[in-house]
Amino acid sequence: MPPPAPSPNPNPAPPDAGISRRNFLRTSVVLTTGLAALAASLKPLLDMNDFPTMERFLQKYYKEMTPADMEKVLKRITDETEKQYGLRPHVRDLKPMDGVEFVYCLNLTRCIGCRKCVHACVAENNQSRNPEIQYIRVLKLPHGSLDLEKAEHDYNPEKVPEKGFFYMPVQCQQCKNPPCVKVCPVHATWQEMEVDSAGKRKGDGITVIDYDWCIGCRYCEAACPYWARRFNFTKPEIPKERLNPDMAYLGNRPRRQGVMEKCHFCIQRTRAGRYPACLEVCPTGARKFGNILDPNSEVSYILSTKRVFIQLKEEMGTSPRFFYYFDV
Amino acid sequence: MTKAIRNYFVFLWRCGRIAFVGDWRYYTWMGVLTVICLLGLNAYARQFAHGLIVTGMSNEVSWGMYIANFTFFVGVAAAAVMIVIPVYIYGNEDMHDLVIFGELLAVAAIFMCLAFVTVDLGRPDRFWHLIPGIGQFNFPASMLSWDVLVLNGYLLLNVHICGYLLYCRYQGKKPSKWFYIPFVFIAIVWAVSIHTVTAFLYVGLGGRPFWNSAIVGPRFIASAFTAGPALIILALQVVRRVTSTTTVTEAARLQGDAPTPPSSPATLADLELLARHLPELASVSSQVRKDTLAGAMVLELAAGHVLLRQGEKENEAYFVLQGRVVVKREEGGRFRIIRSGGPGEQFGEISGLAGTPRLATAIAEEPSRVLRLPAGSLRKLMKNPAMNKIIRSRMTERLMITDRALLMLRSIVQVSMLINVFLLVNEVFKEFYSGNLHVASAKYLFVGLHGHHALVPWIWTAIAFNLTAMVLLVLPVSRSLRWLNVTCVLAIVGIWIEKGMGMVIPGFIPTPLGAIVEYTPSLNEALVCFGIWAFGLLCYTVFLRMAVPILQGRLTKANEHHSVEEIAGVTPANSNP
Amino acid sequence: MNSQTRTRLALTGLILAFLALTTLFLSNWSRRPVRLTTIPLVNTNFLDTATVRRSYADLVRAGEDLSDFDCSVCHEKGKAPPLRYDTNQNLIVPKEHSDIVMGHGRHGRNNNCFNCHNETNLELLQTRDGHAVKFADSPALCGSCHGPTYRDWEAGAHGRISGYWNHDLGAPQRKQCVNCHNPHSPPFPGRQPAPGPHPLRPMTASVEPEPNH
Repeated sequence: MPPPAPSPNPNPAPPDAGISRRNFLRTSVVLTTGLAALAASLKPLLDMNDFPTMERFLQKYYKEMTPADMEKVLKRITDETEKQYGLRPHVRDLKPMDGVEFVYCLNLTRCIGCRKCVHACVAENNQSRNPEIQYIRVLKLPHGSLDLEKAEHDYNPEKVPEKGFFYMPVQCQQCKNPPCVKVCPVHATWQEMEVDSAGKRKGDGITVIDYDWCIGCRYCEAACPYWARRFNFTKPEIPKERLNPDMAYLGNRPRRQGVMEKCHFCIQRTRAGRYPACLEVCPTGARKFGNILDPNSEVSYILSTKRVFIQLKEEMGTSPRFFYYFDV
Repeated sequence: MTKAIRNYFVFLWRCGRIAFVGDWRYYTWMGVLTVICLLGLNAYARQFAHGLIVTGMSNEVSWGMYIANFTFFVGVAAAAVMIVIPVYIYGNEDMHDLVIFGELLAVAAIFMCLAFVTVDLGRPDRFWHLIPGIGQFNFPASMLSWDVLVLNGYLLLNVHICGYLLYCRYQGKKPSKWFYIPFVFIAIVWAVSIHTVTAFLYVGLGGRPFWNSAIVGPRFIASAFTAGPALIILALQVVRRVTSTTTVTEAARLQGDAPTPPSSPATLADLELLARHLPELASVSSQVRKDTLAGAMVLELAAGHVLLRQGEKENEAYFVLQGRVVVKREEGGRFRIIRSGGPGEQFGEISGLAGTPRLATAIAEEPSRVLRLPAGSLRKLMKNPAMNKIIRSRMTERLMITDRALLMLRSIVQVSMLINVFLLVNEVFKEFYSGNLHVASAKYLFVGLHGHHALVPWIWTAIAFNLTAMVLLVLPVSRSLRWLNVTCVLAIVGIWIEKGMGMVIPGFIPTPLGAIVEYTPSLNEALVCFGIWAFGLLCYTVFLRMAVPILQGRLTKANEHHSVEEIAGVTPANSNP
Repeated sequence: MNSQTRTRLALTGLILAFLALTTLFLSNWSRRPVRLTTIPLVNTNFLDTATVRRSYADLVRAGEDLSDFDCSVCHEKGKAPPLRYDTNQNLIVPKEHSDIVMGHGRHGRNNNCFNCHNETNLELLQTRDGHAVKFADSPALCGSCHGPTYRDWEAGAHGRISGYWNHDLGAPQRKQCVNCHNPHSPPFPGRQPAPGPHPLRPMTASVEPEPNH
């Protein structure tokens, strides 16, 4: 078939050019408008007020930081927090004490389900109020059953406790064999417990998170059998007047959008020798905390005298450091 | 050395250029995909700025559409390479070129998987924490670390195999076995591993009884081998259609009587000329050459002369001495270019050796001279081992998406779907027969839990689709392409639902503490997903846009001086390819 | 319409699509703020760590006005105040002490004030076998009947302790029985619970679990 006669073209292209001036113009316009659309599509990034600085981007992993590195980081956190909340905090990197392993015991006979622990924790640990993050969840269960499917989370009667029910607060169990630590792809969470070459155990057993190392994949959240871990779906909102300025790097310093957090046994208090906030506020004294390696602590007494104490979901093999016990 | 690098860059440049050249259908398709990609990018920018709160996820259901799609497309990537097995292990000649299409689909699917995982991260700016050696890579404890390794390794494997084979074809060189056959076999095993590692992400979580089951791994493989080849069946038909060229006049021309071209007996000089482009001929002794000349003719062809017609019963073989001959095949009412060859190329040898009717039509693209050999002469030539090798190897490099190849894929889909449904029955029995208390998630999925039943209509639709597809696959009616296509669509949609949403979401409902929070993807989340799907299709289209002309012999090192527009056939002067 | 015109149309359409997208992206459509329902801040009463009651001993320690607790204003020293009972053997609480509600034990077990109070010296308590107990040492009195609970309290397993678990760094503050339990009506009072969770996505009420008895 003979090729169609070329249309009269005021600018005849050279024979081998392959592309005419008009085509070139059209192609350029397509490319230009395409690039413009591409650039415009990124406009929402202007709303981001927390774009990572080079310093933060390159920040080292917690276990690889020298004391000088840590000092710089703590100063940066202090400055950033002061800038945002108008209050200069005191941020420390607390190390575990020797000869200490923490254990938490909770008396299910005494818990009345008042949820003061939930809110004391929120206040102490600078958790986001909106969206709401609460490390502790109190479950209302019918007498005689530990089937968590029967649990009610949003009970709101006039008075607690209600007849026929008991209340079980659940938070991070600081497991000895934590699934969250196993699955984290970047080691952002770990058990503060090591066995050195001499077979000596070092660490107090808290499962901690390096908030500046977490990549936010939420695999740990899927792995936890106790639903203990929380994710920051957006920038956390802490009311300035309720900020707790007494902070620790692995504890209650303000977190960012996109990272995980969870109960850390109030590391800023407990590594300074004090009781956690949830225990301090509990009106009935249902919560007990201490050093299991100290034979005189109340937790040693409980675990050696109470005939029945349980670990939640023991069959998971997680070996929690959280025990629920009963009196009557 | 520098010349080799220069050649490679010219190759890349031309491939890149040809991706931007096409007809109006191509521009429309790519344009639509680009628009969707940009919408997705905008949605992701919003997510990057505000956080994952713009999705429908929560602390109760902390993985959603992104991971659901990731799971599905890892399966597609794994299965795409499994069609390699019939070719390399069972020597199925029909499927040879399709292997490259399968592996290119695998590459596009892996790109999509990497994209889905990246958009799911809360802090993608900290991606470098994952790099072994620089970050803190939790290998081998974390299954996610395994997934990072196997997915990227698989990507590299497939990019190497495709890139190497295509570059060799571009250069007109025969690929060296050691550079691709071992990798192909590694890829077969690796394909199974990428999907099993992905399954193990879920299976390894003891705290989620819905996932903590041994059947998850086998189900993943079975459903992947159903959906993957089904997608390939559909994709190949699309490739077949868009790489076809047809005009009424051309079809009519091909039916008309061709005038007899002038011919003359072949001489040794002609064989010498051929030997310059077909080096293997040099090893043939002059005695054999003289014998070959018996009955051999040289034909002078005008441009557009139809030399062979598909379906004719003739058995001469042809070699091009000068000029260019294009081989086209009629499939489903349209003509496809199988290959286009210059001096040294052979055609018509399949019917010559096998005695079958002509598989395709051969037309001279420009004034050409061809050498015609009777079948007996060809066999004599092939007694020489070098000649035998080159002719046989070229016989298998045919870009024919025959219906037989599609039916071979159909049987893979058929068996896999049967196994998939069988495993579903196993799972349902295990969950519901014993009445123990770990069935809450399964109850939520299949019948609803405590008044929540958002997923119930979805899973039953998926099961209906899968069962219908299974029945159709077993019945001979699905041998017809129209029904096969319906079956494939049903299977793909059914498996996407059951493996994506039907696998990921029920694992979170109820939470380990018994709470029920349901999940609905947000508009922003959906836009990001659409954007990534469009991106995957965009990549695959670009890959095909580069690969098909190379496989057809239209984009080669030899025609470097030709512009890609000419090759693509969209020069303004001649817009009919 | 030949292929070339179609190509031109397709490219023109593409240009228009890109311009439309650019306009859409630059508009406020994609900058809609993320809307969150307001969650009221919790009442700070729920964060109060004080005990339920302040005991007499606490008041003494705090040096507060104890005139209300001076027994000798109405009662003669050394002389036991008379107790009166109704026909059902229930103690009649005199109107001067009407703020006291008797509820220490079922079936009116403790219907005798002098089970705990010392009838010869109202500023002291007494155990059942006659030992005098100071008000500040009241746990010993409670423990004389409630042995197991007392042993738990001594070890720290019952009742409240605040302050320091690490006694090298600071002192713990052990609370006494009467800091939580009203000695005349000891059952721990019910209270209004603090607000429940506000999850990010709707958590519709789960099935109301039935009590088992």
